[in-house]
Amino acid sequence: MLGKGGKRKFDEHEDGLEGKVVSPTDGPSKVSYTLQRQTIFNISLMKLYNHRPLTEPSLQKTVLINNMLRRIQEELKQEGSLRPMFVAASQPADPLSDNFREAQPAFSHLASPPLLPADFVSTMPLESCLTPASLLEDDTFCTSPAVQHEGPTKPPPPALQPVKDSFSSALDEIEELCPAPTSAEAVAAESAADDSKAQPGESNIHKPEGIPESRTAESKLMEPLPGNFEITASTGFLTDLTLDDILFADIDTSMYDFDPCTSATGAASKMAPVSADELLKTLAPYSSQPVTPNQPFKMDLTELDHIMEVLVGS
Amino acid sequence: FLGAGGGNDIQWCFSQVKGAVDDDVAEADIISTVEFNHSGELLATGDKGGRVVIFQQEQENKTQSHSRGEYNVYSTFQSHEPEFDYLKSLEIEEKINKIRWLPQKNAAQFLLSTNDKTIKLWKISERDKRPEGYNLKEEDGRYRDPTTVTTLRVPVFRPMDLMVEASPRRIFANAHTYHINSISINSDYETYLSADDLRINLWHLEITDRSFNIVDIKPANMEELTEVITAAEFHPNSCSTFVYSSSKGTIRLCDMRASALCDRHSKLFEEPEDPSNRSFFSEIISSISDVKFSHSGRYMMTRDYLSVKIWDLNMENRPVETYQVHEYLRSKLCSLYENDCIFDKFECCWNGSDRQVEFSSLRTSDIPKIIVMTGSYNNFFRMFDRNTKRDITLEASRENNKPRTVLKPRKVCASGKRKKDEISVDSLDFNKKILHTAWHPKENIIAVATTNNLYIFQDKMN
Repeated sequence: MLGKGGKRKFDEHEDGLEGKVVSPTDGPSKVSYTLQRQTIFNISLMKLYNHRPLTEPSLQKTVLINNMLRRIQEELKQEGSLRPMFVAASQPADPLSDNFREAQPAFSHLASPPLLPADFVSTMPLESCLTPASLLEDDTFCTSPAVQHEGPTKPPPPALQPVKDSFSSALDEIEELCPAPTSAEAVAAESAADDSKAQPGESNIHKPEGIPESRTAESKLMEPLPGNFEITASTGFLTDLTLDDILFADIDTSMYDFDPCTSATGAASKMAPVSADELLKTLAPYSSQPVTPNQPFKMDLTELDHIMEVLVGS
Repeated sequence: FLGAGGGNDIQWCFSQVKGAVDDDVAEADIISTVEFNHSGELLATGDKGGRVVIFQQEQENKTQSHSRGEYNVYSTFQSHEPEFDYLKSLEIEEKINKIRWLPQKNAAQFLLSTNDKTIKLWKISERDKRPEGYNLKEEDGRYRDPTTVTTLRVPVFRPMDLMVEASPRRIFANAHTYHINSISINSDYETYLSADDLRINLWHLEITDRSFNIVDIKPANMEELTEVITAAEFHPNSCSTFVYSSSKGTIRLCDMRASALCDRHSKLFEEPEDPSNRSFFSEIISSISDVKFSHSGRYMMTRDYLSVKIWDLNMENRPVETYQVHEYLRSKLCSLYENDCIFDKFECCWNGSDRQVEFSSLRTSDIPKIIVMTGSYNNFFRMFDRNTKRDITLEASRENNKPRTVLKPRKVCASGKRKKDEISVDSLDFNKKILHTAWHPKENIIAVATTNNLYIFQDKMN
């Protein structure tokens, strides 16, 4: 791509994009702005999903690319160019919407990341004493009392917590089974923390009433999808790899081989479409409560189904 | 002399180059860190293969003052080995991310070296004498039959060829879930910090089985993660103060006396974004790749993708100076994003002079020369003089090989007609990047690392 000191020719395409800084408000250059945005969006997706490292990918790079994608998605949403994802095949071929459709499933749940309430407090009185670093090891759910957040604060949808917690306690059980590299205190601290976290979740399983069952998938995409954070942990590129590997190692992995993030073979491996029911059955043993296939949960899995189909196609 | 007295710019000359000559770079030979020790006599480099190579400066012949002593290999050792994390099914690279020297307390030298997960304290000691004339042992080590010993003698030390031994004295492991990007030794010389993407830990140099977490920015839900720690450093004089920089272009100064967990900063340094420069890549190019306190501790310098900024610790809302390193790349950000160059982590460093200034009595005509240096592409590196506001671009290449020949300044032509001797942006080699540079603490000697070679430049002495 880049010569060693030789003349490097830019693509004309890129030249047009890179010429100057364009703002979305310029008339004729709005098209090139959109084009540039689209290109960057595609590049970002490729970077995240085609990376096949032997070593862990750089967290900083992943975070920056992720932020880029979120920003573009926010922009697209605000511009109202959001197209329904599951519309019938009669949809006109539109490069913009196609690409957006591709990307949508992976990031819809990131549209407005809600802040978890600060009452998920760890049992350690962090303010008053130094925390040994050993207690932080492999502790995905370790919380710190003051977490910096630059973005706008949004009230967390209550539905987020129930599914997350049943799942999270399942993950914690699995985590406990794994040898902790440091002290046994780490495990004890975690289970203590988990007990306190499981409480608020168990009381509220059902989705808030504001979201009727009959909603179309389209309007659903505008809201943060409850439970998607953990269900789509396999497509969530920021999830701790440790837990993903632990979780999926114990179950039939043929369903999850499509996942580019956790699978060592990368995005090009075999893509097995998963039906929502199969997924549901697999997850059932890992939840500490009976997983009643409540409507929103099932809808999410249907979307997961579509996500996978789209990823197969991409 | 350091050029105090104002006016004269330093004239840099090629001195030495270390490393393989071939264009084919072996991955393990890629230099990943460069650091002078506190006296400047030793220069350490770490590479991607986990090795540390230490060069020592020859003691100069005082009568022959036309050049300073050369740096020759003093010790080479394998600091880190590749490991495998079975839990995550991923390799842990042996690449040395940072080396930091401890100040010398006795005959031996100590340094900290770190890869992504483990920090090690190495002792480098010399052996140039050995005892001879044992009563119970032969010279080759075999034991003598005690009944054959008829006289006693006192063993004496006899000189031997110098042997430099490196031995790991402490291994600080298992405290970082994420990749370590910085280590910094406290001014108390007893503790040090190590920073990874989300956490900063405090260690005592003597204690390896425990470290304390002093910063934790990991969100409860990893999917909410939008910012990571990119660098951290202790204040050179205040042992309770440190700073850490982030991928969003902010620097936080923390005081460890305020609370055990320094999640609330004492100061937040952030420059508001220039709206005319806003682009898709604004956040990425604002990510700070290095932060360094000035020797006096009054200022700090940060490096982001396109610029170097000098901050006064008393002013949080903007830097006191900003220097453009390669502004001509601003219109190329999309390509640089595509080929990942936009994620390159350039370091920066101060010259050594301002520390000397503090301790010597100043004549009124003396203006301390404060220069900052950082790398760029095409094996170019840049220096900015804070007093004269002049800058210079130089190139580290074997073509400028003659010692005591002053390096020719380089210029990149951003657009339009390219003048003679200028290089156009499109001709730059983005595979030749200078990420690591170091400045001798006392003299005008600099070490500049290209991909797999180490260049040493000195100022022209008259």
